[in-house]
Amino acid sequence: MKHKRAIAAFGLMITALVILCMADLMLGTVSVPVKELMDILGGRITEGMNHSIIMGIRLPRMLGAVITGGALALSGYLLQTFFANPVVGPFVLGISSGAKLAVALSMIFILSRGLQTGSAMLITAAFAGAMTVMGFVLLVSLKVKSRSALVVCGIMAGYICSAVTDLVVTFADDANIVNLHNWSLGSLSGLDMPDVTTMAVIVLLCSVLIFFMSKPIGAYRLGENYAANMGVNVTALRVILILVSSMLAACVTAFVGPVSFVGIAIPHLTKSAFKTTSPRVMIPACFLLGACVTVLCDGIARTVFAPTEVSISSVTAVLLVPVVIRMLISRKARS
Amino acid sequence: MTGDKGIKTDKLVIGYDRDLIRDICLEVKPGRVMTLIGPNGCGKSTLLKTITGQLKKRGGVVFVDGSDREGMNRLELARSVSMVTTERVNPELMSCREVVAMGRYPYTGRLGILSEKDRAVTEEAMASTGTLDIAERLFTNISDGQRQRVMLARAVCQEPEILVLDEPTSYLDIRYRVDILTQIKSLAREKGIAVIMSLHELETAMRISDTVVAMNGEGVQRLGTPEEVFEEGFIRRLYGIEGKDISLVGDAPWFKTSIHEKLPVPSGKAGGKTKVIMVQGTMSGVGKSMIAAALCRIFTQDGYRVAPFKSQNMALNSCVTREGLEMGRAQVMQAECCGIEPRVCMNPILLKPTGENGSQVIINGIPRGDMNAREYFSRKKELVPVIKKAYEELCETVDIVVVEGAGSPAELNLKEDDIVNMGLARILDAPVILAGDIDRGGVFAQLIGTVELLEEEERRRIGGLIVNKLRGDRSLFDRGVRILEEKTGIKVLGTLPYIKLDLDDEDSQSGRFEVHERKELDLAVIHLPHISNFTDFSVFDQLEEVSVNYTESVKDLEGSDMIILPGTKNTIADLRWLKEKGLAEEIIRLAGMGKPVFGICGGYQMLGRSVSDPEKVEDGGSEEGLGLLEAETVLTGEKVRSLYEGRVENSGGLFKCLEGRRVRGYEIHMGQTEISPGVKPFTSGGSGCHSENVYGTYVHGFFDLKEIAEGVLEAVAALSGRSLDLSGLIDQDAYKESRYDLLADTVRKYLDMDSIYRIMGIER
Repeated sequence: MKHKRAIAAFGLMITALVILCMADLMLGTVSVPVKELMDILGGRITEGMNHSIIMGIRLPRMLGAVITGGALALSGYLLQTFFANPVVGPFVLGISSGAKLAVALSMIFILSRGLQTGSAMLITAAFAGAMTVMGFVLLVSLKVKSRSALVVCGIMAGYICSAVTDLVVTFADDANIVNLHNWSLGSLSGLDMPDVTTMAVIVLLCSVLIFFMSKPIGAYRLGENYAANMGVNVTALRVILILVSSMLAACVTAFVGPVSFVGIAIPHLTKSAFKTTSPRVMIPACFLLGACVTVLCDGIARTVFAPTEVSISSVTAVLLVPVVIRMLISRKARS
Repeated sequence: MTGDKGIKTDKLVIGYDRDLIRDICLEVKPGRVMTLIGPNGCGKSTLLKTITGQLKKRGGVVFVDGSDREGMNRLELARSVSMVTTERVNPELMSCREVVAMGRYPYTGRLGILSEKDRAVTEEAMASTGTLDIAERLFTNISDGQRQRVMLARAVCQEPEILVLDEPTSYLDIRYRVDILTQIKSLAREKGIAVIMSLHELETAMRISDTVVAMNGEGVQRLGTPEEVFEEGFIRRLYGIEGKDISLVGDAPWFKTSIHEKLPVPSGKAGGKTKVIMVQGTMSGVGKSMIAAALCRIFTQDGYRVAPFKSQNMALNSCVTREGLEMGRAQVMQAECCGIEPRVCMNPILLKPTGENGSQVIINGIPRGDMNAREYFSRKKELVPVIKKAYEELCETVDIVVVEGAGSPAELNLKEDDIVNMGLARILDAPVILAGDIDRGGVFAQLIGTVELLEEEERRRIGGLIVNKLRGDRSLFDRGVRILEEKTGIKVLGTLPYIKLDLDDEDSQSGRFEVHERKELDLAVIHLPHISNFTDFSVFDQLEEVSVNYTESVKDLEGSDMIILPGTKNTIADLRWLKEKGLAEEIIRLAGMGKPVFGICGGYQMLGRSVSDPEKVEDGGSEEGLGLLEAETVLTGEKVRSLYEGRVENSGGLFKCLEGRRVRGYEIHMGQTEISPGVKPFTSGGSGCHSENVYGTYVHGFFDLKEIAEGVLEAVAALSGRSLDLSGLIDQDAYKESRYDLLADTVRKYLDMDSIYRIMGIER
């Protein structure tokens, strides 16, 4: 029975993702008909305005959304499992704050000196910032056994980064502040194919690695002590979980900025869709559902108020927060 | 070492951030169940966590199937050891079957996909724990009892050789408890799993375990079979419930130890049913206790298992058993005559006079509050079941019970509802021996009068008469014997001489306070108005050259060699009395001049700076002490009653020679004494202190061991340049034994023992 449910749910999700992706490519300020889209994707049309719109703008953006959604959802799932805490998300360990601080520093101290403005610089900075915070948390995790203490550490690290960011902003000029603000809202616009390829490589590697860790992650659901008794190397698993979830989140954040709520809400949605927490199911399922939802949200963000684009985080928040709250309430009612 | 299956620890040291318990050496073989017991926080869980590796050990080795667990790989270890902890797990959306199947972790492949065999083992584990019917339910939605069983199923599913369980029966109702314990037992027996677990239910631990480990915060106190560990006195001490009434938690969680453990059991001499004989007297002080004690000793010498019994004692001088329960001294002495450990069932009711008209009522060793005489008499009937139960308990393990009456059986106004003399004889269906005291005169009136005043049915119970305490030529009384037999129609069993044995029983106290001639060495014991536990100084009676004088007079102190403040029932009142009499001032003065001053229990409290009674345990208030010791006492409602075994830690100046010597005795007091920092401890365990020539201790019987008495006397004598002949001195215990034999020999010589056996219905 469970198997049937899982197969049906996977089937549904894959279909939904294909349809959403197609729609995402077709719709926008310029609509592209299905046939033309197929021809462009199939390589039968190799030039023209629509070709450049699809291949140069919409396709990378759509793929970016798939990867972003998948990575954030997966990262959220891993951390929720690790902390056995349903309100934990990918950014709880201070990843986005670290990235933001690094971005702010680089914008204000490097770019403002008239040096070459380049997204590569920002991406590198964001990634470095996120990794620094993660490194700190990782060190703490090796010292501290308590997981709640670790959450507190992550949150504190986040606060420190935010505080320093605010300090830096005080001395920044208006243009940079606007840039930083825009970055921190998160946006998928401006992604090109090389960006997407880089993201894809990192995210896919992490996802495959974590899929092969699904057995110990499954055991981890009974708590660290039982897991250890069953033969799980708990310390190693801790490190891998923190490392991989942070890599996933950091990679996405570096390219598109912090996208909120996907990481918190999707694991919940997936669990209730599949009625299980088995990692073998949850890992691919979270990725798929995260991708679906993010493609949808990005579509809404760029089309509803077109030509003005709204921040993707606003859409995810409006769409996902009620879902999370409803689920928490019904979960309480059940137990 | 692969043949060494099971789990073993060698000099294991456990603890969180400091060493909690050191040098733990345990071993559980396959198929065996080991249980850890002990009070909360004693380290049971810590030990189990260290064994499973949840907690890092702080030293020593844990061997799993013969190899050091440190060197084993995780999966190998997981296939050997599984556990159920008290930790609550809340796995989201996991069915019970999934939880159980997690146990297959160390057997499945990379992705943890279950094979046919894994599934079969899972099903079997669930079937054997009765969890199949909830297999599909979510783990988070089942009851605590069900969770516990699922977690056990999980542990079983791991197919371990060693199962570690931390309180597996908590949260469970009786049915599940039965199920889970049966399951654990059969896992051990059928699958040969070595089980080590902690339990709070002692009764369960008693029944399920092959080996029991009793621990407290200081370490493993006992390790052995349930029979070895579940001994009342030990369990009470382990959990700190000495003398506490535990009837609310059900049956006593210990084996009813045979009171005759120490003796070989002679087979069937008395022919099944326990025989009984009762000794009654014509009045108080005729020597009933002595005669009963002598009979106890004689029957014991003749190879029977014997125990004394007295339904109700009225005495100030009580004694404490190993279980921390209080009973009359006379029965303790008689039990010693029988060579057995005293138990409260030998004296179920003890009345300790507290004033003119009231008594503290102690039932089965536990104080039940004060009652005045009228109140007590009105409730006497309720006590019959208590007496019967105690007597029956006693009968289970002995061939002969020697019962002692109280006072006179012919107190006509009190005869209704009598539970101490003829009333008791009727309840127990006991033949009676009636004793009279010739020394005090009127022995014919005593014996014939008493017999005359009894009912016909009671008279028939009397199997014989004894004339006690005859001084001088025995033949002069032969005619008296004939007269007694003619007038009463009852045989006179013998005429006993006046025996002075200085043994402990409450009736023998009267003579103690007579003024004795001062001998070579004189010890002055202050005769406090509420003096108690006189036996502390009995050891000195062994020596011809030493006299013990009880005194209330200031002028006696100067000439004595040592001043002793004895125990008291009312410290503050006696302290005030001490001051009014001028004794306090004199003691302080003499102590200042170097005279040895020794305080025991209440006397020790008086020697301190102050005694206060905020809870009104006695009369309330607070009183300044003699100030000779830097200690302060606060009386509290919690009564300390325990046997004491320790040593002299530090005895400074005068009694320096005592240092390191063993001390054995008992403590019985209300209140705690706080010793000021820097003051030298005296007896170990914080039970006393000293300064220069002033010593105080809570330990009664302090002087009883030869090495202590000897040291004290030598040091006191040396003060004035004398030396004593102490060659005759022996441990008070050994001394008492020799006295008991002497008593038995004397009584056997003058009493017609064959007739006594016949009265009891024993043919020899």
